[in-house]
Amino acid sequence: MTKQKMTFEQALENLEQIVSSIESGEIGLEESIAKYAEGIKLIKHCRRVLDAAEKKIQLLTAEDDQTLTAAGELEELEEE
Amino acid sequence: MAILFDPNQAKGPRDDADVTGGESGRDVTDEFVGGRAEAPLTVSALVADVRRVLADGLPRRVVVVGEISNLSRPASGHVYFSLKDADAQIPTAMFRQAAAKVKFDPADGMEVVAEGRVDVYERQGKLQLYVNRLTPRGAGALELAFRQLAAKLEAEGLFDPARKRPIPSYPGAIGVVTSPTGAAIRDIRRTLAKRWPAATVLLIGVPVQGDAATAQIARAIRAASANAERLGIDTLIVGRGGGSLEDLWCFNEEAVARAIAECTLPVISGVGHETDTTIADMVADLRAATPTAAAVLATPDGEALRQGLLEQRRRLDRTIRTLYTQGQTALRLVRRSEFFRNPLHRVEAFSQRVDEAGGAVRAALLERAAGAGHTLSELTGALRWNLGTLAKRRGDHLARAAARLAGANPRHRVRYTRQSLSTLRRQLDLLTRGARRAGTVEVKRYERTLEALSYRNVLRRGFSVTRDAKGTILRDAAGVHGGQRIRTELANGEIRSTVDGPPAPKRKPKTTPPDQPTLFGED
Repeated sequence: MTKQKMTFEQALENLEQIVSSIESGEIGLEESIAKYAEGIKLIKHCRRVLDAAEKKIQLLTAEDDQTLTAAGELEELEEE
Repeated sequence: MAILFDPNQAKGPRDDADVTGGESGRDVTDEFVGGRAEAPLTVSALVADVRRVLADGLPRRVVVVGEISNLSRPASGHVYFSLKDADAQIPTAMFRQAAAKVKFDPADGMEVVAEGRVDVYERQGKLQLYVNRLTPRGAGALELAFRQLAAKLEAEGLFDPARKRPIPSYPGAIGVVTSPTGAAIRDIRRTLAKRWPAATVLLIGVPVQGDAATAQIARAIRAASANAERLGIDTLIVGRGGGSLEDLWCFNEEAVARAIAECTLPVISGVGHETDTTIADMVADLRAATPTAAAVLATPDGEALRQGLLEQRRRLDRTIRTLYTQGQTALRLVRRSEFFRNPLHRVEAFSQRVDEAGGAVRAALLERAAGAGHTLSELTGALRWNLGTLAKRRGDHLARAAARLAGANPRHRVRYTRQSLSTLRRQLDLLTRGARRAGTVEVKRYERTLEALSYRNVLRRGFSVTRDAKGTILRDAAGVHGGQRIRTELANGEIRSTVDGPPAPKRKPKTTPPDQPTLFGED
């Protein structure tokens, strides 16, 4: 999960860098095209994360100050 | 002074016995009368008598208003103090069980309403008020408790803004401490699904009101903190939906506040409605007005991110389109340029110069070595062929490059950036410069050849050149007359001689004929 978070954050960061570097015009067209393709890939990745299906809520019980145990999943929302 | 019951009354039952004249008072008097007559009472009996009188004479429950003084809290958990007003005081005891139920922290000087019973502490023969309920006068007990705990935690620095941890922007997993059946989790879930469905929600179910709630909430927070790393929890939301002050009370309890303060995770509190502020809110890293607001604060705005991505996409497309157009324009310009329309031009120009040089050399040769023209023209031809080949070869490169450019598929055209075009240009420059250099070398070689073919070499082969006195080369015997002095140049040295025969008629000597190849053509 941490990895996924990092990926999203990094993806956004990389994307920003790519857009600026292409916009700056400091890199050649060939490199620009490569970066463009990379940028599109990052956008797709981010969209996938944003459009992820809602996850089920996992229920946990605190046995004591140290122990959390799984207690199943919360029922789906009934309304809507 | 609102004294509902004056404890002083109970001090002297003996004195009052006659005065009160009540039913219980008479009973006591009767006993005393009996006691005075015969044997003295034991202390225990006396105190027991006093207790009985008190129990009979006073209501079971008294409510007293007074000020706390001399408060002490021994390790037993009981609380002792005196309740006093301007003129009187009464020792007061509040046992552990009762003390635990007091929300606020009683202290000296505090005006309180004490509820309890009056009795005698037998071991000291002391009249005492036994309190089972203590509330602050004026402010409500909860309100006072709140203020007291807030002041205490503030003094400890738990509300210090510097303690607040930042909330992760893109949480992978969010822990929620609330009731599994309450409105809070429903609101949180709905909000998260809308904003940041990528997050996993781990709900640690707890009761959020009632006696057991405080301890369970505190425990849940500690357990979440202890397992944060294992479960990948990034942020913890603690809260519940709206309710009365009493309903929300556990979020004002010290145990919950401390659990939040000690939690290793950033905690967002979301308790009740906008108007409710709890101690938990003050200790939390971020206070949300409601559980829904807590979910909002815990997550990035998915819709804004989507818009941001769209904008990035637009910027990318716009830029790449611009670059494409620029590349196309540059390509068109280059292709339309003189150089690309006629890539051979420069080579041809150069080739022409070579021709001119060749022509000049040839003219000089003809000038200086009349008759060598035949061989010269052969040589010139060879040289021309060589230069032609050279030029053609260079030209082919250019032509091929031009053809490659011309044949470039529009889809691939964009690859020919200005950069690559300029690279290509540079290469072509090098190519033509190379050709020119190579041409110069050719010319030099040509000159050397001509040099080698100069008439002196011919002389070495046994021929000779004869000149008249003026040094003009003699080409026609008819122009020579008797007595004329001539000089014949050989490979080595010269012969001076005088021509036999009749002297010349008076006329101008003949000029050089246009062509006399025979001299060199004989071998």
